[in-house]
Amino acid sequence: METLRPKDARILVVDDERVNVVLLERILEQDGYTNVRSTTKSEQAVALYDEFEPDLILLDLHMPGLDGFAVMERLEDRIASDTFLPILILTADIRPEVKRRALSAGAKDFVTKPFDRTEVLLRIQNLLETRFLHLRLRPELASEGQAT
Amino acid sequence: MWRRYGDAIYTLVTFAVFGFETIALGVLSISFLLGRTSGIASTPVEGVLLATLTSTASALALLGFFLLGYHFTSSLRDRWHVEQLDVWTERWIGLALEDTPAEQIADSPMPRRLPRAAVDAVLSLLEVVKGDEGDRLKAVLARHGVDRLLLRHLRSGHLTARLDAIESLGKARLPQAFDALLSLLEHPKPVVRRMAVRAAAGTLATMTPEPGPEGPGGRFTQALKGASLQSGVAQESLLLLETRAGAVLRDLLAEPDLGDRLRWVVLETTGRLGLADMAGEVASSTTHPDPELRAAAFRALHRLGSVPEDAQASLLDALKDEVDFVRVQASHAAAFLPAEVALPALEPGLGDDSWWVRRAAAAAMARLGDDGVATVRRAAETHPDQAAREMAVQILLEAGALDPAAARLVKGVA
Repeated sequence: METLRPKDARILVVDDERVNVVLLERILEQDGYTNVRSTTKSEQAVALYDEFEPDLILLDLHMPGLDGFAVMERLEDRIASDTFLPILILTADIRPEVKRRALSAGAKDFVTKPFDRTEVLLRIQNLLETRFLHLRLRPELASEGQAT
Repeated sequence: MWRRYGDAIYTLVTFAVFGFETIALGVLSISFLLGRTSGIASTPVEGVLLATLTSTASALALLGFFLLGYHFTSSLRDRWHVEQLDVWTERWIGLALEDTPAEQIADSPMPRRLPRAAVDAVLSLLEVVKGDEGDRLKAVLARHGVDRLLLRHLRSGHLTARLDAIESLGKARLPQAFDALLSLLEHPKPVVRRMAVRAAAGTLATMTPEPGPEGPGGRFTQALKGASLQSGVAQESLLLLETRAGAVLRDLLAEPDLGDRLRWVVLETTGRLGLADMAGEVASSTTHPDPELRAAAFRALHRLGSVPEDAQASLLDALKDEVDFVRVQASHAAAFLPAEVALPALEPGLGDDSWWVRRAAAAAMARLGDDGVATVRRAAETHPDQAAREMAVQILLEAGALDPAAARLVKGVA
């Protein structure tokens, strides 16, 4: 069953830096998010996705082994085309072409480190609201599809 | 790197072991020499040999024990450091996220001199978070004198200590370190200049804007102008300015005596950042005597997606520039001219000697709406030059304006 209240949203954090993961967990906890899972090993991201079925993924781009682009590539097959699963990229890479590449690879938004807590929370909230609106519309869209 | 701690002890032990061995082997050599010349009996020589072997074995055993002990203690220290990092990270996060004003942080109980793990943890966090949370963490650094210590290390005679300090200040982004970092842009070592400009740019990105040449942006502009930096380094530093980049780039372009290499960097960065409101400033370089700079200006205008009216004449001239890469970039930028101006000017480019110019001209025309596509289609069918026809067909195919079956029917293209 899908969760529909933003604060109950399942959020997955993938970042190789433990400091970043802990900080994001605390920020989210403090803002009332109760369903947060995280990993510092990007190889585990796909398995965690399958198990946890997140509503939002916070993803670092530059990680050893699988980088953020590779994680998005692996997730692409798992995310249904009619599903809006937001991926928010958190990276220190300021190159505009990296941002474009990430957005075209499936990321829905982009935040540059160092980030402002308020900005990150607002972006998370906006993405989750969009996700839940999409989930609410899904049955209607499905019935419309069947009717036509 | 297997050796992270105890450099002094390691050096001392190694020196002692090898010194001891050298003396022993020296005595042995001299004994052999004396044995040959003065007929010393073999027994004392054997004695010396035995003593040397014993001492060598003992020395190697000592070194072996030291290395084993060293690795053991190093791993213990590493583990302890990681644990301490975790402890301090939690502590700093708690402090950063609480709604306490930075001035009141002094009330919280802390050791007077922060341990290394505490400083590492706070610097790592400052790499990730800014705003009020970042300010609280910066207040911690100031309260414990870490900022003063890092500033002192900036003047250290040891390059490693100096680079460490620059790196730490780059993470901390402390406004009080800004001018000290800028002064390092004149340092004779390129690595120092490179790290300093990155740290200074990151710091400026978080500082309160102050207009004018005396403000931090103005000081950064002047320091960058006078610094000898590789193009890539200068470009990276401009990108690190984030929202402050536009003001600095505008100031730099307004400098009449800006060096050609830095001007090229500024044009490239302006284009990459898509600062569309700077098209006017960029356009002023479209008539620069250096073809690299003319090309960079047109490439930037193409990326910005706009050609100011007063740059139209220079763009039309550049389509006939004697240098092919200028013609290429001008052709790309011409896609942002009105179609009635651009199409007749771009059409001759289809028959250019350079494949790149032909391609850029055809691609620009195809972007100029229905009239543009119609012109390219006409060129595909009737242009007297086969190379032009082929390019036109290729561009139409890429633009989805021609299906492959129709392309085969176009004259001159098999």
